Amino acid sequence: MIAYINGKEVEFGTNETILSAAARHGHFIPTLCEMADIAHAPGTCRVCLVDIKRRNDPGHYVVTSCTTPLEEGMEVLTRTPAVRKKQRLQVELLLADHHQNCAVCIRHGNCELQDIAQFVGLQQSRYHYPHFYRQRSRDDSSAAVARDMRKCIRCLRCVTVCREIQGTDVLVITEKGLATEISVRDGLPLGDSDCVSCGQCILVCPVGALAEKDDTETVIDSLYDPNVLTVFQFAPAVRIALGEEFMLPPGTNVEGQIITALKRLGADVVLDTNFTADLVIMEEGTELLKRIRDEDVLPMFTSCCPGWVNFAEKNFPELRPHISTTRSPQQCLGSMAKTYLAEKMRVDPKQMRVISIMPCTAKKEEALRPEFVRSGMADVDVVLTTREFARLLKREGIHLGELEPSRYDDPWMGEYSGAAAIFGTTGGVMEAAIRTVHQVVTGKELERIELSEIRGFDNIREARIDLGEELGEVKVAVAHSLKAARQLVEAIQAGEAVYHFVEVMACPGGCMGGGGQPRSKKAYQASWQARQQAIYGIDRERPIRQSHNNPLIGKIYADFLREPLSHRSHQLLHTHYRDRKRIVRHTMEEIWKEIGERG
Amino acid sequence: MAKVIFGVWDGNVIDNRRRRIFDIEEHPGFRSFDEFNPGNPIKAFLGGHGFFIFEKGVNLLDAALQYMARVARESCGKCTPCRVGTQIIKSKLEGLTNGNRNPQLLDEIEAIAEHVRDTSLCGLGQTSTVALLEMLEYFREELLKEIAAEREPQQHCTTYVSSPCIEACPSKVDVPRYIDYVKDGKFTHSLGVILQKYPMAATCGRVCVRFCEMACRRTQVDEAVGIKVLKRFVADHERFVSNEWFSSSLIHEKKSDDLKVAVVGTGPAGISAAYHLLLRGYRVDVYEANTVPGGMAATGIPNYRLPKDILRQEVGIIETLGGRIFYGKRLGRHFTLKNLAAEGYPAIFLGLGAHGGKTLEIDGEDLSLKGYEFGVNLLLHINHDYIDNGIPMDLGERMVVVGGGNVAMDCVRSALRMGVKEVHLVYRRSRREMPADHEEIEAAEKEGVIFHLLTHPRRIIVENGRVKGVELIKMKLGELDESGRKSVVPDEGSEFTLETDYLVPAIGQQVDLSFATPDDGVALTKKGLIAVDSNTLMTNRKGIFAGGDCVTGPATLVQAMAQGHKAARCIDDYLTYGRVQFFPEDRMSRLVADTQPLIRKGVSIPIKNEYRVKIKELDPEVRKKMFEEVEKPISVEEAYHEAARCMRCYRVYSVITEQ
Repeated sequence: MIAYINGKEVEFGTNETILSAAARHGHFIPTLCEMADIAHAPGTCRVCLVDIKRRNDPGHYVVTSCTTPLEEGMEVLTRTPAVRKKQRLQVELLLADHHQNCAVCIRHGNCELQDIAQFVGLQQSRYHYPHFYRQRSRDDSSAAVARDMRKCIRCLRCVTVCREIQGTDVLVITEKGLATEISVRDGLPLGDSDCVSCGQCILVCPVGALAEKDDTETVIDSLYDPNVLTVFQFAPAVRIALGEEFMLPPGTNVEGQIITALKRLGADVVLDTNFTADLVIMEEGTELLKRIRDEDVLPMFTSCCPGWVNFAEKNFPELRPHISTTRSPQQCLGSMAKTYLAEKMRVDPKQMRVISIMPCTAKKEEALRPEFVRSGMADVDVVLTTREFARLLKREGIHLGELEPSRYDDPWMGEYSGAAAIFGTTGGVMEAAIRTVHQVVTGKELERIELSEIRGFDNIREARIDLGEELGEVKVAVAHSLKAARQLVEAIQAGEAVYHFVEVMACPGGCMGGGGQPRSKKAYQASWQARQQAIYGIDRERPIRQSHNNPLIGKIYADFLREPLSHRSHQLLHTHYRDRKRIVRHTMEEIWKEIGERG
Repeated sequence: MAKVIFGVWDGNVIDNRRRRIFDIEEHPGFRSFDEFNPGNPIKAFLGGHGFFIFEKGVNLLDAALQYMARVARESCGKCTPCRVGTQIIKSKLEGLTNGNRNPQLLDEIEAIAEHVRDTSLCGLGQTSTVALLEMLEYFREELLKEIAAEREPQQHCTTYVSSPCIEACPSKVDVPRYIDYVKDGKFTHSLGVILQKYPMAATCGRVCVRFCEMACRRTQVDEAVGIKVLKRFVADHERFVSNEWFSSSLIHEKKSDDLKVAVVGTGPAGISAAYHLLLRGYRVDVYEANTVPGGMAATGIPNYRLPKDILRQEVGIIETLGGRIFYGKRLGRHFTLKNLAAEGYPAIFLGLGAHGGKTLEIDGEDLSLKGYEFGVNLLLHINHDYIDNGIPMDLGERMVVVGGGNVAMDCVRSALRMGVKEVHLVYRRSRREMPADHEEIEAAEKEGVIFHLLTHPRRIIVENGRVKGVELIKMKLGELDESGRKSVVPDEGSEFTLETDYLVPAIGQQVDLSFATPDDGVALTKKGLIAVDSNTLMTNRKGIFAGGDCVTGPATLVQAMAQGHKAARCIDDYLTYGRVQFFPEDRMSRLVADTQPLIRKGVSIPIKNEYRVKIKELDPEVRKKMFEEVEKPISVEEAYHEAARCMRCYRVYSVITEQ
């Protein structure tokens, strides 16, 4: 079918919107709430206005291009004076109930509302009514995500991500009129809710209404405190994404520059979470074999993703015996730093501050779990997301792109394998575990190191691995996104699927798509492909590609832990889980009161 | 008939300002606009298509402000122009009435009002500034005069918000609101909206005939919103805790014990009346002839459409709220109206239903014949004796059901499930005229019922006191009759015979009149229904009210529940004030209905199609052998998608009245 946009012929399909056809044919229409890669077009911002004329109607109408389908012979004009004027007024109205403290906003410099004001050529902002937004809520109760609804523009992207991508469905819409805001189910503070802290909502928020809880100030305090020994670690997915915050192409590996930057910041010890990723494989792999051999609870689920652990504890507490007791690499690094490393360096662990740089918002909450605090001392003291780390560097005047790379120099924990590097992508933990488990069981290295059947982006992937005569074939599965996780768990619980080992990553794509990663405007996961390629590239380049072949892993077992699942590793590298399922009952009295107040 | 001084509706301007009042012709469109309630003239009316001024001296500026204040309060807050624009208009109008009386503000108001009309997402925003814009375009000088006059507004204004689906619903359930709550992710709140009107949400979500969906404006785009299925979704979502929501603490103001009410019948009308009376603090005793609750909803609706535990649970709300239900008490047999009066009930509600069958009036018909049974009785026996009590039934090999309504469909589909091998449906008109839900008709066909359309029974063939067969005759279409349908006449010579073990007339029901003795003196209508005052639902006997099928004749669940609700309101008024009070919402609803013919069919702007959720059903070959519920619930994801299809056709209306 044929229609016309600004006089040019466009072909379009049945029920295709004007916006979609315009985008395909290179006609720019400014939009705000819409997000094409998650099929989100709620039609709430009303900015994407165009002028239409239908074939058998002489009238011209201004409509939103995101909700209006093209018709045969329709003539669309995107830039008439009336359209531009209306777009400007729309953005002016948007600003009228937006808390405009732009200079101090966490989204400063990366704000889609500011962008749209520029795109539509807004030159004035006449309506200032602080009481329009003052009544709306702020919520700092979560250790991971900060909400400031005074800035919300009701694009509903966070709701869509929470409902449709993650299936966690924690966000609801409350109130009406100017008081309308995105709230938390059952009226709870976010920190007490079923939120799993994955932070995916932050990735899509166009303004500063949703953000990571900013901890850069605490890190600066530690850096400039002469009595503190700072130990930094950064996760596998940070190095391939951080560059985006400094205008480097997605997928650029800036591992060496991060080491330089940390040294320049004054970090005392710079470590790589990859080291403890290798350690996790030793522990978790051994745990899996023990479960298979002892015919213990199976399938075993991975435990390195705190979003997934939160999700399981809050939704499927009956799964707790299935989750590997091995702590996550972040927490293993914290406990090893404050025991093994402190011993080797002959320092008092109380003086140490372990600071993580993570692609993840849930890691902030994980570090606070009481299980990971020993005699008042947390294993990990502060967690910065990739975005906060970029902010810290900027605050300290460091431009990443200008730095020369450096190498690790820690003689005890400064080495990692390619298996650890791929922890940063969905499927990576599984692949890493199989490389080691195969060797442990059969005594031989896996011939085919790269397991293509569990690579890729399908939400659920599965494979069968031959572990030789003793154990035969094991069935494994990989799920990313919590919606996929729920689907997989339900299939397992219904007896429709049987596995030995299951990897779950809460965030789509795994850690590389984590809620703490650099965000892209107008797109949900624009850098997925490049980031994953970079991660697999690191693995391919490593001289050592299996965790058990990391010489410093051998050393830490020889010098300190003795063997996987030893008494000491149980104390320092394993954990347990809690039932955090929440049942809320409302009375009709409360409900009617709320409904009444609304009307 | 009201006289319009000036006004605009959909761009049609009426301007009689310069004419003398007695010269102005009365407008037939405003037949009911003279008074709001007795002695209280309507001075102005504002709606989503325009406004009318019926009296000189109306403060137009204030009328606009009060209207826009309601609009701003109703905005759902999701789209920008309606959320922010209506607030700015409101505050600028406030400025013009009591602060900054700068007439140039009108230009700014006009620009934003146009913007709200042209770019809002839903029907509320799109229509919310139409009246104001028409004032500004055609009667700006009136507004300017008002600004200059600096009058203190003393106008009495009643506002009303509604939509086509709400107006179509007998119970006036706020449909867009409960759909909004689904969109918002608040299913309990959604259910709360429904429970404000009646307790049987899960029941209604299964068997409602959906006047709302017939009125749904989404049909102009693709298909009606699945209003019923969303109701079932929210009701089912937390159905196992539904009784926990209620407790007698919900009742704020207990009425004194002597103000107790007797409700006769636990059908939809009785349950709804009892529910609203209990919520208003009355002591309520309910009397039920049967041993199970639900009335026609229990005995007349088969399990595969409405599982009985759901109905029982919803009736249970009455007991949770402190109501008492006495089973096995048939009015006219176990007790009389006189007994109730003697027990000191100052008010009684009769929700008796219409449980009697109607005869075919053909040769060989005899109620005592073996194998002859009214549809309602057949369903009662299957649902009550067989399913509830496990009493075996033999319905033979072949059955013929006569009728085209939902009862007939329930009979044929239930008969299949009872193991009857060949089930025939005989209906005198064509398929198009069948009053049953088309989904029911299709389901019956899929399950293998044999349809004989344009066919009618002539004679019952009897052998040894048993039905052996039925002689049928083909009908042909004749002239249009008074109901607007083509009449049908027998096509002589086309007679044929069907052998059958059972003949089931399902051509209507009537009230079982054995409830009253002549000295009760309850007046009846010519059709054998209980006569009531349509405004108060009171019978000719003081304090005795009636509603549901026994008043309306066989109707629908939702109509009966609406009557029960209305009766509760009337009984409350009667017991509090001695008479039934004026109810402004009903009056506004009438006014809204009267303005409908004035609405010009608007310009249609294309809207992206989003098709209605497909409800999964049990396979016809499997389901026809059992009474398990046929329709499966929809998923949360499907519910969100379906809710998003609602276009929120809310309109705000207001009247300025004398008092």
